Amino acid sequence: MHMNVHLAGTALSDRDIKEGKVLYTEWKPRAMYAWDAGTAISRFLEGLRNGIILGTECVKCRRVMLPPRIFCELCYRPTEKWVKLKDRGRVRTFCFTRVRCDASRVEEPFFPMVVELDGGKGGTGLFHVVKGMDVSEMTVGLRVKALWKPPEERIGAITDIENFIPE
Amino acid sequence: MSLINKVSKSRDLKVWEGEFPVQYLYTCGIAGEVFFREIKDNGKLKGLRCHQCGKVYVPPSIYCEECFNRLDEWVDVGNQGHLYSFTQSHLDRVGKRREEPALLGAVNMDHTEGVLIHRLGEVEFSELKIGMRMEVVFKKPSERKGSILDISHFKPLE
Repeated sequence: MHMNVHLAGTALSDRDIKEGKVLYTEWKPRAMYAWDAGTAISRFLEGLRNGIILGTECVKCRRVMLPPRIFCELCYRPTEKWVKLKDRGRVRTFCFTRVRCDASRVEEPFFPMVVELDGGKGGTGLFHVVKGMDVSEMTVGLRVKALWKPPEERIGAITDIENFIPE
Repeated sequence: MSLINKVSKSRDLKVWEGEFPVQYLYTCGIAGEVFFREIKDNGKLKGLRCHQCGKVYVPPSIYCEECFNRLDEWVDVGNQGHLYSFTQSHLDRVGKRREEPALLGAVNMDHTEGVLIHRLGEVEFSELKIGMRMEVVFKKPSERKGSILDISHFKPLE
């Protein structure tokens, strides 16, 4: 059914604004935030700054959680144990992308992926990025290792690991 | 360390700080465009009149709130009105204490609907009274930019 709807409004272009054809007010509010990392993630991030990847283990179900959590949501109890994981492991799942998060195109495709790090108990996945691979070479199960930033550049962030590369 | 231990050192807790890149550009709209151009170019206040109920809106509205008519009849509303409400503000908009408290008021222009909220000047707080006669003071033509700040302030009518 064709509906004859009159849409009210006045179309404006960037040019109308730039050439001062219409009056306007503009503002850049400073929208700052501080996200409380909590006890577990704080220690995890501090670990990254020192080049260590820390997870937590539930002593009941023996699961290792990464990023660490302060409670096991399966057993519903606090996690007591800290576990040091290796900075290498196997690709559990991946995709590849040719655009950055602002949708601009990259020269070389990269692979957002989940890596199962050695020293975990299975099902322990860290979300990160693999770079330096051809799309045809990438497979689930591929051995990868972390490429760390130099210690003086680390700030206690997930980006202290630049990316993962084939082992 | 068990995770249920008390955290005693604040450096053990991290906060992740960031800033959202936000900005906006807000156009004055159909009525605002005429209203502010008139202030900027001619130093005059204008309102929109409803042909049915006769109400004049200042600040202008392109619809009559009573009759729902589309309005396009611009009328001069003069420079005078009365003080509808007022206050004084000791803090600025980031919460910093001002050296001198700012006087702010809502002024209803004569024979119109609505109020203009603006600074009050050439007057002491103790002299202000609801209902007192007020007059608009424009900035010099060279300083006007087509904004509400082209009005410098309102002052009591002599």
